[in-house]
Amino acid sequence: MATTQLKSDAIMDLMKEHLSTDAGKEVTEKIGLVYQINIAPKKLGFEEVTYIVDLKKGQVTKGKYEGGGKVDATFSFKDDDFVKVATGKMNPQIAFIRGAMKIKGSLSAAQKFTPDIFPKPSKL
Amino acid sequence: MAMRDLVNGGAACAVPGSSSSSNPLGALTNALLGSSSKTQERLKEIPNASRSGPGPQFYSEDQQLRSLPGSELDQPILQPGAQGSEFFRGFRSVDQNGLGAAWDEVQHGGPMPPLGPMYEPVQPTFEGPPQRVLSNFLHSFVESSRGGIPFRPAPVPVLGLSQSDKQCIRDRSSIMARHFFADRGEEFINNQVNALLSSLDIDDGIQARGHIPGRFRELDEYWNESQAVMKPGLHPADSWAAEFNQRGMDHGGPDAWVQSFEQQHGVNGWATEFEQGQSQLMSNQMRSMDMQNLAAMEQTRKLAHTLSQDGNPKFQNSRFLQFVSKMSRGELIIDENEVKPGPVPGEWATEYEQQYLGPPSWADQFANEKLSRGPEQWADEFASGRGQQESADDQWVNEFSKLHVNDWVDEFAEGPVGESSADAWANAYDEFLTERSAEKQTSGVYVFSDMNPYVGHPEPMKEGQELFRKGLLSEAALALEAEVMKNPENAEGWRLLGVTHAENDDDQQAIAAMMRAQEADPSNLEVLLALGVSHTNELEQATALKYLYGWLRNHPKYGAIAPPELADSLYHADIARLFTEASQMNPEDADVHIVLGVLYNLSREFDRAITSFQTALKLKPNDYSLWNKLGATQANSVQSADAISAYQQALDLKPNYVRAWANMGISYANQGMYKESIPYYVRALAMNPKADNAWQYLRLSLSCVSRQDLLEACESRNLDLLQKEFPL
Repeated sequence: MATTQLKSDAIMDLMKEHLSTDAGKEVTEKIGLVYQINIAPKKLGFEEVTYIVDLKKGQVTKGKYEGGGKVDATFSFKDDDFVKVATGKMNPQIAFIRGAMKIKGSLSAAQKFTPDIFPKPSKL
Repeated sequence: MAMRDLVNGGAACAVPGSSSSSNPLGALTNALLGSSSKTQERLKEIPNASRSGPGPQFYSEDQQLRSLPGSELDQPILQPGAQGSEFFRGFRSVDQNGLGAAWDEVQHGGPMPPLGPMYEPVQPTFEGPPQRVLSNFLHSFVESSRGGIPFRPAPVPVLGLSQSDKQCIRDRSSIMARHFFADRGEEFINNQVNALLSSLDIDDGIQARGHIPGRFRELDEYWNESQAVMKPGLHPADSWAAEFNQRGMDHGGPDAWVQSFEQQHGVNGWATEFEQGQSQLMSNQMRSMDMQNLAAMEQTRKLAHTLSQDGNPKFQNSRFLQFVSKMSRGELIIDENEVKPGPVPGEWATEYEQQYLGPPSWADQFANEKLSRGPEQWADEFASGRGQQESADDQWVNEFSKLHVNDWVDEFAEGPVGESSADAWANAYDEFLTERSAEKQTSGVYVFSDMNPYVGHPEPMKEGQELFRKGLLSEAALALEAEVMKNPENAEGWRLLGVTHAENDDDQQAIAAMMRAQEADPSNLEVLLALGVSHTNELEQATALKYLYGWLRNHPKYGAIAPPELADSLYHADIARLFTEASQMNPEDADVHIVLGVLYNLSREFDRAITSFQTALKLKPNDYSLWNKLGATQANSVQSADAISAYQQALDLKPNYVRAWANMGISYANQGMYKESIPYYVRALAMNPKADNAWQYLRLSLSCVSRQDLLEACESRNLDLLQKEFPL
């Protein structure tokens, strides 16, 4: 495994597992949308890694959306900022206002993108 | 300046811009007494220059009044048409295209009464009671028709005709005129009728005013619309956007706007209304003020101007100057050699307001005025202006409207889920502060506490170790801080401080302390492992890998199997393979299994990590941090129920293990049991209020169980309240 991994990868893997649990299924039911999340290691828009967080099917996949149709909203983050948002250190609205998060697509879908849909990593 | 100069017309008294007189006092005297032959002549030229009967025609004799420039009343006194044309001619010389064109439009388009005949000398005069005057007047109209000669408008005393009378006269006269002049052209008939009507102070405006305002609803709408453009703030944002877009289409470019503004205010509306109002004002209120007073006023104005320009303070304060300036402002009038107070200027303003701003409303008046200028024409122009000019300015408006403005507005109004906007901002500020301190810490600089009671303690190291053993982590951290401030090279002090912070769930501080420990003792295995663990927790994989590999290389037993060249290009798989090798060399070494467990956590091979930790636990069953590592790994591999029992083991061994308490909360929260998670977070925070992660998670859980009321306590870090609310 490459050493240039993103911190967000850990969150995404956690999310993938999380969606198979009862709590994860609840999230899927509640949101029911497909998000695309672009994560850049250092600078927004550069060397982005694309994740699809499909909260219709309860899946997290790397790469472009292949489910047919469009994603409901696309977010772009820097790696650190995504971790901050996913772990509740940064409010998504504030991230947006500060320019740490870019949004494309439906804003009503974007509004449902809250930190509580992501599981929190536990510490060793 | 001497009085003599005023009388003789010395050079100092020359009134700037005045050609009429170089002797202001003399001019005033002339005006007051009428002794100047010139003025006398002028006054004679005015028909009916008595105070009893100034009809509108009186003011149409503009020659006289033009000689009194500058008086605030002189311009409006002029007959509307004459004054208007003068006014706009002035504009035309300045701006050929804009107002001039607009004026032409008005001239040709509007049914203005023909001006020509009205300026000709008048034959009959009418006196007596209104009824007789009117009948005589109408007779003369009829007689003029017999001869087929154009009817000359005549000055008529104010007859006090009611609106309906005027309407009636107007209708009847136009019908009659059509009978009389059946053989003449339409224009002639109109001229005749208009001449009659203008003599009787009946004009189209009055006629129009008799109509029901409802007829001009369309115009009212236009008006309202344009009002809306001028005050967009009054509308909700979404309707604003729509309306703005619409208006943008309507108006086209700036030229169109100028045109419509002229149409609304400049040419047709305002000027006409002002003129009309003035003539009404004249006939109603200003009747009593005769020509003489106006002339006197003008002269005093000039005199006052001359006097006030003199530097002599005696003059400046003299009662004479005050008197003169009062006269010039019309506050005093001379009436038959008596000085009387005139109408106060303030009243004039009030009257003006009543006349123009009072009921009927401006919109109504506007609509009515429009009729006299041909509303259809106006509407047509407006519509054509719409279609013609869709300039580039509109394009952004269109684009703007294409965006999902409404969506955004709606959603913004809804606010963030489960949080008031005020909370969001407060949170944001808090986050911002946290973030900034976090940034400080990311650089690996240890942040000391501000108030440390252990500074100056004789043996802070011993005290710190004792406190750590008792499980008073926050206190231990303070004592150890005091120690490392005293002895910055004390590796064990830094290491224990790092461990304390790790157990207190503060990885940033733990890393900072461990780095100092590593500086002091680069090969300390415990320090290297702790750094590997903390960086793993911070998801900093590469750094974690470096320290874990450092652990292997510095290990006296396994250092040999770690090739030094590998340090330049660390791959997780290689390191894991080496550790597996090491564990096979010495399966009873729990530490190797622990490092392996951490490594598998890094690669998120949680099952392997769990196996490694479980193996290590068999060798070291009383290592509370090992139980926590197992629990955390299980939690991260979504085995939260197992995790909770592992945490419980850790807490049994070390009840003040803040990290385990916080992890408990996370495990409940990740299972969607937010309510259950809260007491664990609160418990962790009660032991270490500096555990920022726990605060954030607590806030999320409170939001998820709709306990926004306690977010405030969360912001102010009011642990007493939170502990009372959520006892464990």
